[in-house]
Amino acid sequence: MKKTMTISVLAASVALGLGVSGAAFAAKVPAGTPLAAKQEIVRNNGSEAESLDPAIAESVGANNLVRDLFEGLTATDNEGKVVPGVAESWKQKDPTTWVFTLRKNAKWSDGSSVTADDFVYGIRRFLDPKTASTYATTYGTFLLNGVEAAEGKKPVSDVGVKALDKFTLEIKTPYPVAFLPEVVSNGQLGPVPKAAIDKFGKDWVKPGNMVSNGAFVLKEWQVNSKVVLAKNPQYWDNKNVQLTRVTYLPIEDGFADVKMFLSGENDWVYQLPPGTYEKYKAELPKDIRNAPMLGLRYYGLNHKDPVMKDVRVRKALNMVIDRDILATKITADGQVPAYSAIVRGTNGADVTSYDWAKWPMAQRVAEAKKLLAAAGVKPGSKVKFSYNTSEYHKKMAIFAASEWKTKLGLNTELENMEFKVLLKKRHDGDYQIGRNGWVADYNDATTFLTLVQCGSEQNDNFNCNPKAEALIKQGNLAQNPAQRKQLLTQATKLIMDDYPMIPLLQYTVPRLVKSYVGGYTTKNPMDRYRSKDLYIIKH
Amino acid sequence: MWSYALRRVLMTIPTLLLVITVCYLMLHATPGGPFDTERKVSAAVMANLQAKYHLDLPLWQQYLLYLKSLLQGDLGASFRYADWSVNELVGNALPVSLAIGGGALLLSVVIGVALGIIAALRQNSLIDYFVMLVGNLGSAFPSFVIGPVLILLFAIWLSVLPAGGWNDFDPRYMVLPIALLTFINVSTIGRVMRGSLIEVLNSNFIRTARAKGLPLRTIVFRHALKPALMPVVSVLGPLAISSITSAVVTESVFSLPGLGKLIINGASNRDYTLVLGLVVLVTVFAVILNLLVDLAYAYLDPKIRY
Repeated sequence: MKKTMTISVLAASVALGLGVSGAAFAAKVPAGTPLAAKQEIVRNNGSEAESLDPAIAESVGANNLVRDLFEGLTATDNEGKVVPGVAESWKQKDPTTWVFTLRKNAKWSDGSSVTADDFVYGIRRFLDPKTASTYATTYGTFLLNGVEAAEGKKPVSDVGVKALDKFTLEIKTPYPVAFLPEVVSNGQLGPVPKAAIDKFGKDWVKPGNMVSNGAFVLKEWQVNSKVVLAKNPQYWDNKNVQLTRVTYLPIEDGFADVKMFLSGENDWVYQLPPGTYEKYKAELPKDIRNAPMLGLRYYGLNHKDPVMKDVRVRKALNMVIDRDILATKITADGQVPAYSAIVRGTNGADVTSYDWAKWPMAQRVAEAKKLLAAAGVKPGSKVKFSYNTSEYHKKMAIFAASEWKTKLGLNTELENMEFKVLLKKRHDGDYQIGRNGWVADYNDATTFLTLVQCGSEQNDNFNCNPKAEALIKQGNLAQNPAQRKQLLTQATKLIMDDYPMIPLLQYTVPRLVKSYVGGYTTKNPMDRYRSKDLYIIKH
Repeated sequence: MWSYALRRVLMTIPTLLLVITVCYLMLHATPGGPFDTERKVSAAVMANLQAKYHLDLPLWQQYLLYLKSLLQGDLGASFRYADWSVNELVGNALPVSLAIGGGALLLSVVIGVALGIIAALRQNSLIDYFVMLVGNLGSAFPSFVIGPVLILLFAIWLSVLPAGGWNDFDPRYMVLPIALLTFINVSTIGRVMRGSLIEVLNSNFIRTARAKGLPLRTIVFRHALKPALMPVVSVLGPLAISSITSAVVTESVFSLPGLGKLIINGASNRDYTLVLGLVVLVTVFAVILNLLVDLAYAYLDPKIRY
């Protein structure tokens, strides 16, 4: 895939320490595009942000806002490419040391300079156990002593981040992290305004108090109603920012979202309600947008369960689900069949597959039946499937149950529950087969491998392949990106041959975005759109 | 009557305490906590989070801490909306709910009572059938059907009103949600009013009034209305609570930042403090409304004295 190639080439060049020059990257309005006089946009953000504090922000929606309000060392543009942010260039001095050179004209919205100390403060504050960020260990793992600091075992001053001078920041990693430039695009590892935080405490994120360094500043925030941002006149690249006002809506109800889009009060539907993609594709061909993203829908198989601990059972359950029918007829929203824990577009490892994926279904069923018989699971046996209450998940669950029933003679007990209850059951290993899903935190295979690695927090299957674990460790220490990729791919293949889970589909983001919104691409695997990269075409 | 009212208000305190305790225990007994998310946090981070929100303390200590801050008028910090206190959240949402729910309630009392009277006086006429049809439609169609139809008609086809959202008490954003809630409430109030007035009009004292040759207007407004309003007043209490504090569907359909949305988000996110805060609010509301209803009985029915 072309997309995969361009991204990995870029990552490779970054990894080789070539650095990137500091040209302006934002809102590349193609020559000859007439712009509207009013550069304002209304984006639905899917839900109310739990926080606008970059250290606390967790959800996709909150991080969308943080990305507009704050700028880290780097950023990702509308095609998911790593571009300079506050850092105008960076260099990998040695395998575990990175040096970021900050631009001298980066300013906070109060006019003061953004300095290396602001990053040191921001990162230490993020990892501080008192801040209690849910991302602390997720990103802390990429910084020397990051996890130890987050767990309170070492002081935050021991974390591998240091201001060499006012505009030079050094970051040390515990092992070579080739994709560090992408990781530091996340707001959690960005700067925060110490003076405002000292002055206002928890209320520093409120309108009037917030000082930020992104392309936009906070104007208005009405909980469950809207967050309004305005162009930041102090922003270093402000001449390349087209939008003057961005309104984020927190609408959760997909149908309400679409109605506001149709009545013209909203330019951006967060995600189309299930089962409506084909309808709007036909009715609003200019506005419909759909692209795969780095996310995986899968069913977890609990290895602590006496039936599921048998690899033959796990393989049989995997083989008979027809992903093509699931994708085209059941979910019918453009999602792509998946046979691996890693989805297409992910850097750092190739997508693996199974030989049987290409077999005719009859052959797959015959083989699966043999496996079940060998495992002593007779037709008529019962399996239990747990999912959180939702029409969408129910539809998929009924399909899976019917595949297992008609092809293997297994009876599936479908058990639906509230999301929090499912999470608890999954994390506690109190289930047999469970609905699951994962969206990448950063574009590297390791984000998906956490789902299937030994002892990983995210591994609800409780599987472990020590050989693969050793390969992943070896890969993470490798300095050559090609070698690393080969090792991680090999590890993925080994793990997937144990059938720890049932990969089903790669997520897509079916949504409506007004045709006059420029800068929206379908080549953004992380689905992260800075408003800086958007503009309104004359219409 | 005042001592009765005072006694009723004082009775609120044990009621509240009971409600808080039961709700507190139920919330903490529900599986899954505020920090159980798709991306499981490590044990150390979970400990950080629990310490930050005092969830690491024994349950009884947390409970006492909560009661203590409640006495100081502090409903605590929200888990789901980390940047806001429950006081701020309720403070922002309550005016929206009062405007929509209260507005709808006032309108529906006026319209519902008027329609009920007309229907009762013209029993089995076309007008009566029309009122009953409206009443039955309002009861039969849930708000998640009527709401989207209103949006389709007025926001998308006619483009005269916004499809949803809230803009600082801008009346344009309030018309459709108030209309929806009014329609639903009118259907209840209208039917109750009609039935009750018909019953009263058939009673002996009205027959006497008619025999005396009093004009219909005097009979209805001076003699029949007061007793006929009793059942209407009875349904008003629950209607008011459901219109103001739990108009969940209406708020979702019209994307309104009201209390209903907070309740749902609070419960599904295990936001203990937010849910408890709202439960306290709803309980106080219910007690006040029930008191008002009881006082209204005394006004409407001379037989009732406190």
